[in-house]
Amino acid sequence: MTALLHVQNLCKAYPGFTLTNVSFTLRPGRIMGLIGKNGAGKSTTLKSLLNIVRPDSGAVYMFGRDFYAEERDLKQQTGVVFGGIDSYPLKKLSAVTAVTRRFYDGWEPARYKSYLRQFGIDERKKLRDLSNGMKVKYLLALALSHQARLLILDEPTSGLDPVSRGELLQIFQSIVADGTQSILFSTHITSDLDRCADDITYIQNGRVLASAEKSVFLQSFNHLRTPEDTAPLNLEAIMLRSEPATAFTTMP
Amino acid sequence: MKLLYKELALAAHPTLFIFTLLGCLVIVPAYPYSVIFLFGCLAPYITFLYARETNDAWYTAVLPVTKKDIVRAKCRLIICAQLSQLLISIPFALLRIRLAIPNNPVGLDPTAAWYGFGLMIFALFDLIFFPAYYKSGYKAGKAFLLAMLFVLPAMLSVEVLSHIPALAWLDNTAVQNLPAQLPVLLAGALCYAIVLPLACRIAGYRFEQVDL
Repeated sequence: MTALLHVQNLCKAYPGFTLTNVSFTLRPGRIMGLIGKNGAGKSTTLKSLLNIVRPDSGAVYMFGRDFYAEERDLKQQTGVVFGGIDSYPLKKLSAVTAVTRRFYDGWEPARYKSYLRQFGIDERKKLRDLSNGMKVKYLLALALSHQARLLILDEPTSGLDPVSRGELLQIFQSIVADGTQSILFSTHITSDLDRCADDITYIQNGRVLASAEKSVFLQSFNHLRTPEDTAPLNLEAIMLRSEPATAFTTMP
Repeated sequence: MKLLYKELALAAHPTLFIFTLLGCLVIVPAYPYSVIFLFGCLAPYITFLYARETNDAWYTAVLPVTKKDIVRAKCRLIICAQLSQLLISIPFALLRIRLAIPNNPVGLDPTAAWYGFGLMIFALFDLIFFPAYYKSGYKAGKAFLLAMLFVLPAMLSVEVLSHIPALAWLDNTAVQNLPAQLPVLLAGALCYAIVLPLACRIAGYRFEQVDL
């Protein structure tokens, strides 16, 4: 079956940071978590694969087609949310939705309304009147309402309360349940991935340290286990033990 | 058209519409009418600043459009505003003739030649401003100042023309001066029609290289 997303040797150099040969594949009906510590290159990867940041080299295939050659068409089938970016804070949600829906051939008003109800969002509010969590929920409602086959989400659960996070993870699982849609999301909250991810891609210092189906991924870090570990390591433990320790010194 | 709608509904600052309406200032009996062109240049500057502060580029970048589409839509918005400003001024310029308002003592009257010069000034501004702004995608102030270095002397020259006796025909709305003024208008229209697609193309190419 054709992969919904295939990222091949993506490279991007900044002064002081380089994304090097990032490659991974997301198959249909899967949730992939993109993990890594702050500054590891998670957001740069997502931005580069969407051409928001121009990669120096590499290729991205969505639904088997070259993304950079057919960006306009392929974005029709992609839902994207970047947390922490506030666009048009003085505009009402209804005004932003009225514009957004025009861009998507597959816009589903009923589905959009249902997400608004589920998330408890009032369209008459202005974006600046929403909390960070509610903003993310609103952006998710937009991204989930145009029959996107691929959802690319940067830190979608950050800023959400545990109840909303649980709710969202259930929605994610129901989206991929029919085996046609997939979700790629970056997060710091590894417990979310313990609960719902099928695949994990771990980025460290701009390189993919590992990318595999979750159980295979967890097993591949068995060498980090100590005699005290009675159970397999979870994602948080793997991250903590994989990252070089930061030395803290106290001022005399 | 979807992107132009987005520009009008979400991205355009209210001053864009207000400054566009200021084409009506040609009815003021004594006024340096080239200042109207300055409003036509300030409007894009403020609109680009507003777009930057409201993260307009980020919202648009995730829509099913390319970076070149984003630039093209913004250029179209500004073209609409600048041409609308000139169109709005026409009935007021005609009213001015109808009311037999005396010749503007400050500078050039709103003659056909004045419209030609206006189009040239807009073309000059856009040719510098768009590519300079889209080189970074956020330095609106720098792009505006750079454009003004060339546009302000051009505006001043237009006003000075009316005080040169040999060029008095440029400053007269009488019908017999129209054949002499029409080539200036035509040159302005031609200049705008050629320069704007070029400015948008350069800006689009530059924005493609920008990392948001």
